[in-house]
Order: sequence, then C-alpha cells, then structure tokens
Amino acid sequence: MSQFEPKIVAFVCNWCTYAGADLAGTSRTNYESNVRIIRFPCTGRIDFMLLLKAFQNGADGIIVSGCHPNDCHYTSGNFHARRRWIVFKSLLDFMGFPTERITFSWVSAAEGSKWAELVDDVTDKIRHLGPFEDFNKLDYSLINQLNDEGLTE
Amino acid sequence: MPLTRSKPKTKKHLSDNDYQMEQSLISSANLQAFFETLLQSGRIVVAPVLKQSGKVFFQPVQAYSEVATDYIQTAFSAKSVVFPKVETLFSFVRKDGEITLTDSLNRIPETVVWGLRPCDAAGFDYLTEFFLRENPDSYFKTRKEHTTLITFGCKEADNACFCTSVGLNPGNTTGSDILMTFMNEECYVEIMTEKGQQAVALAPSLFKASEVRQKDAFLAKPATRFSIDEIKDKIKHAYASAEWKQVSLGCFSCGACAFACPTCTCFDIQDEGTQDKGVRLRCWDACGFGMFTRHSSGHNPKNNQTERRRQRLMHKFNYSVDNLGIVSCVGCGRCIRVCPAHLNIFENILSVTKD
Amino acid sequence: MMKALQNKVTELFENGTITLMIGFRGVLDKFAIPVFITEVSQADQLIWTPACLNNLSVYLHKSEVKQVGKIGIIGNAGTLRSLLQLISENQLKELELTILTINEQNEVIVFASTEELEVYVQANCPAYNPEDQALVDKLNAMTREERWKYWTGQLSACVKCYACRAVCPMCYCSVCTVECNQPQWIKLSSETEGNLEWHIMRAMHLAGRCINCGECGRICPAGIPLQLLTVQMNQEIERAFGGKTGFSAKSGYALNTFKTEDKETFIR
Repeated sequence: MSQFEPKIVAFVCNWCTYAGADLAGTSRTNYESNVRIIRFPCTGRIDFMLLLKAFQNGADGIIVSGCHPNDCHYTSGNFHARRRWIVFKSLLDFMGFPTERITFSWVSAAEGSKWAELVDDVTDKIRHLGPFEDFNKLDYSLINQLNDEGLTE
Repeated sequence: MPLTRSKPKTKKHLSDNDYQMEQSLISSANLQAFFETLLQSGRIVVAPVLKQSGKVFFQPVQAYSEVATDYIQTAFSAKSVVFPKVETLFSFVRKDGEITLTDSLNRIPETVVWGLRPCDAAGFDYLTEFFLRENPDSYFKTRKEHTTLITFGCKEADNACFCTSVGLNPGNTTGSDILMTFMNEECYVEIMTEKGQQAVALAPSLFKASEVRQKDAFLAKPATRFSIDEIKDKIKHAYASAEWKQVSLGCFSCGACAFACPTCTCFDIQDEGTQDKGVRLRCWDACGFGMFTRHSSGHNPKNNQTERRRQRLMHKFNYSVDNLGIVSCVGCGRCIRVCPAHLNIFENILSVTKD
Repeated sequence: MMKALQNKVTELFENGTITLMIGFRGVLDKFAIPVFITEVSQADQLIWTPACLNNLSVYLHKSEVKQVGKIGIIGNAGTLRSLLQLISENQLKELELTILTINEQNEVIVFASTEELEVYVQANCPAYNPEDQALVDKLNAMTREERWKYWTGQLSACVKCYACRAVCPMCYCSVCTVECNQPQWIKLSSETEGNLEWHIMRAMHLAGRCINCGECGRICPAGIPLQLLTVQMNQEIERAFGGKTGFSAKSGYALNTFKTEDKETFIR
C-alpha cells in the first residue's frame, strides 16, 4: 500500500516567505516536496475564501505565511491579515472545520531553514491526519462524488 | 408578426385520467400498518417531519413515529420530490482524452409522498401542466412517473390559508392519487388513479369498500377572501394599478416565497467543476431576486421591486391562466408565512383589483 | 400605549416632520406585520407588542422607501442598534430620520439627537440575546466533530433563498459577492458545500458589523439558527480586540483597523 502523500497549498507573501523559501532552495536544504506555493504580494491580500477553495480543489493542508509583524513590505498588510485570521479561525473552529489542517506562520526572507522546518512539520502532521475528505462526505456534494466512471450513488 | 401567447388546445389537464374513482375505508389504527407496508415495499417515503426549529418539512422517513401530525401546513412544499432544489442534469468525466457523459435519469427511485394537503396536490397538477404540456421535461417526467401522492384532507386552517378563494377546498382531489379524510376513528379513502390503486393493493386487507360519503363536516372551513372568477377578470386590467408600489414596499427581494411555493418553477442552470470533471445543475431561482431579469448587457427590464412583485402576482393569477388555463396559486398560504415581512398575496390581489 | 404612539405619529405627520412612517400593524396569527404609512388617516393601524420583532431599519436601503421623503421609524432594541451602526458606517446621516421607540414604562420616545439615542441604547439594549448566548456556549462545549455534524446538518437544509441577507440591515451592497459570476466565486447551488461557502462568507463579511438582532435566524424559512454564527464572531472580536457594535454612532470596524499589539496564540 503506497503511503498517502498529502497535497499542501502554501499562500505566501512575495517579499518575506517566498524569498525565504527561495533561500531554502539556494542553500540546497532538503525538505519535503508536497507543497505548492501560491505567491501573493502580501498576506493582507489573502482572501479567506481562497483557503476554502484550496480545500475544495484537493488540498489536504494549507500553510499561510508572511512577514513578521512590523516588517511588512507594505507596512501594515500583515497586521490586517492577522486580525482576519484570528476571526476566520474562530469561525472555522466554531463550525467544526478541522483548523489543525491550516498552519499560519511568519517566515522572513532570511529564515530559509525555518521554512524548510515548517514544511516538514506540516507535511508530517497532514500525513498523520490523512486526506481531507470532510467536503467529499457531505451529502449531495456532487462534484466530489464523481469518480472516474461518472456519477456515483 | 405579432407575438401571441399559445393557447392550450384543450382544457383537459395532462393529469386527468379515465380512472373510475373508488372509495374505501381504513381504520385510523391501520393507517400505521399501511404506512409501514409502503416503507417495506422499498419505496422512498417522504412525509412531514417536525424539526427542532418548530417548523415542519417534507423529508424521507424510516418510521411512522417520525411523521408529524399536529400542524397546519409545512414550511416548504413537497415539490422538491419532482423538482429538486438542486438537480444534476448530467455529469462528465474526462480521462485519457476520452469524455464520458452520464445522466441521472436511470436512478430515480419509486417514491411516495405521504401527508400532502389538497392545495399541495393541486400544486402538483399545475407542475405537471407546466413541465409536460408543450416541451416535456424529461427530468420532471421521470420523477413524476415514479411518485405516488397520498393526500389528507385538512381538519384545520389558519389565517394564511385561502384555498377556497382559488377554486379549491380542503377536500379537493385534484392531483392526488389517494385522498384520505379523517372521520372519527376511520379514514375515508378516495382512490383517484391507477397509481393510487397500486399503493392500496400492497395491503388490501387493511381496506374495506365504502359507499360515497360526505366529507364537509370533517373538513376545515378557511375564510373565502375573494371569488376567483371575479379576480381572473379584474386582474386583466390590474397591470396599471397605482397600488402595486404600496403593496411591494415591504418586499426585500429574497426568494423565500418562490422557494416555499408549490407551483413556482423558475430555475437557473449552473455548471460546476473543473476541466476534468463537472456537472450541469438545475437550481431553484426566484423572480423576486434583483438580478433575475438582468441581461448580460447590464440592462435590467425589471430593476425595482414593484415591477418584480407585480410580475409575480400577475403570473400567478393572470399569465398562467393565459398560458395553461389554470391559476397557479393554490392558496396554501406558505408565501405569507415564510415571508419575513408577511406580505399577504390575497390582500395584495384585492388591493390591486379594487375598483 | 398604542393610542399614545398613534397620536404621536399623527402629530408628526401633521406638523410635517414625516411623510412616511415605517412601523407595525395588526397581527397575522402570531406575527406583527411591517407597515408603511403615508397618510395620517392610516396612523391608527400602528401597534406595538412583543410580536413586533422585525428589524425595520433594513427598509432604509430601498430606493422606493427613501423616495417617499421624510421617514419616521419605530425601533425595537435591534432596530435602534442597527441605526447607530448604519450611522457609524456612513449609510445614514444623523437626524436624517425621525426615530421613535417605546420604553419599559410604555412611554413614546422621539429621539431628538443621535447622542440621546446612544444613551438610551447603552442603558436599555442588550448586546446578545441570552438564549443565543446559551446555544453558542453549548456548541463551544461540543467536540469539533460534533460541531461539524451540527452545522453541516443544519446547513444542508438551506435553500439559498437569501432571506437572511434580505432582512439584514448591514447587507446593503448593491451587488453581493454571490451575484458576481465572472468567476462564480460562491456557488449558487444549495447543496451543503455551496451552503457552507455562502454562510461562511456572510459571517465573515458581517464580523464586527452585525449587531446581533437575530433576525437572520428568526426568519430563515429552513429554521437554521444563523444568528449563532455572528454571535460567536462578535464575541471573538470583543475578546480579541475590544469593542461592541451598535452602541455608538462612531464605532470603528475591527477588520479594517489593527493594533500592533494584537495577540494570538496560533501563528508560528
């Protein structure tokens, strides 16, 4: 039986975390390759619905990461993002969504090793949590019930 | 060439049939046994269920104990059995360059709707006319063919009920396969169609033949608000009434009335999916929504609530008469009860047709 | 008391203060019905009972209502707080309306200024309905899986009628996110996943703005207790950032401001 390999989507800001991930690469750091990175100008640009859309489209886990507070390239984008995440996480928790699948973090351009460690930890955690199937199991979740043969019961 | 509304060629309804109505009796005690026979026959039984919110909804049930009895009307109609709120028209999957299309029509189970009211059954009659008369809708047709409608006459009515104003009454049989009327310890059973007979035939020992009985003493007497013939006549000239604005002020363009209504049929087609798999869906829509008539150019021929509400009421009492020969309102009163502002369709009709 | 209200409204019509009164009239079974009075002779329809639950401030979005001219409105606790929040969001000009209420002593009050309204609201209107509070607490005491089952069960009944949006005074966008179809950001279909999208989005757009009048859940035709979502949201915002909505005409908005000292425990 092949091991389940999680699909992890990372929403990162261009100036800090993306650069940090780049640094991890140029430093030839070995780390898990399950992450697909989506680059944003700033974490302040990340719409909360995007996180849900990622899960709907097959993500098993999500990383959201940007500049440390006070270091935002646009001065205050990450402060707005922080407030938004506090409120959104509270809503998802209240609705029973498995928020342990979402990891928020501050990773700066110099923190290549932090990025690598973060990805390794999150991948391991999601591997243990298993595939994200909460949406698939919803009644009448039509699109998710389609298999290769067509519409299932 | 001037556009004319197509007139129905004959007044006969599609759901009219030549079946000779039969009467029988079943004791109230045996009603549960009949219900359980239906469940055991493998049919899906959809019945009214009381939810925690205090409202009653039609949904599939597994036991007689789930069926609600002490209520006047359900919040939503049972039309979702033949016209679901979301219906897959077809789906596709793409694999290795090949596309496979699948439709959902071969998976419709035999269904019984238990506990309709006569207004609801008349609503099914309208839906049949609407979906099948000119260009038969295969989705509706298949679902309707697999559905048996068991109706119970109403012992009580509330102030939102007005079936007697639209040519119906709490003992009306239009649209029902079986109509049951409680008479003390028994139910008087009117079997109206072949399908009704097939249901009764599942447990023939529970029924005994009966003479024709008078039902009136056992049925509710909802207040009659107007004469439908008078209204059908007056409403032809109501389009220009100055009252439309006043009667529409309370409406805030949600879809609650349309979705609760047993005869509203507007729908939207939505495609959901990705390049590799997807579905085409038919979803309920409502003429009350602001964007309902908006064109892709941005022009909206009905861009205010007054015009939209006028359209809704004119449709129910005038345009459906022109198109299909029947008033599409069945007087169930659901629109009044679910409306957050309790806009009152019969009061409004009276206002706009006032001399 | 109702006579006092009717007399006051008559007076307001007669001295030209108002040309439209938004209030409540007679009861259908157990519900009071919103009424739009444009002639002084209709003032005797007005009632005021515990069944007067609608939040009438939602009608202030409608152009057909605004066109009538000088508006008078009678408010229960939820309505009065919405009015303050709408002023706070620059949707209403102070003193643009004549605002009335009836207090615990059954006296008719006509608010002469926004400050008077603020003082009244702060002294008399609760932030949350205690029943909603109890339900939120009960849900928070459940396990995550139990909550997921609860909400997906409740939301599977949603039919996307958008009555919740229609009755909400804070939903005044001329084009709602759900009406954007290039791309179709929020699914229109009313199966559970699409319903989750809609309600999550709506709760987030209302967080820090909703004043918890509870109308959305009360009028939901499917009987879903939607108001619990924003009770939770607003309590979280109060806990994390301070501030309650609907008690001042100058409330800030928690999600378009920030403090550098904002704290959380989950960002790595």
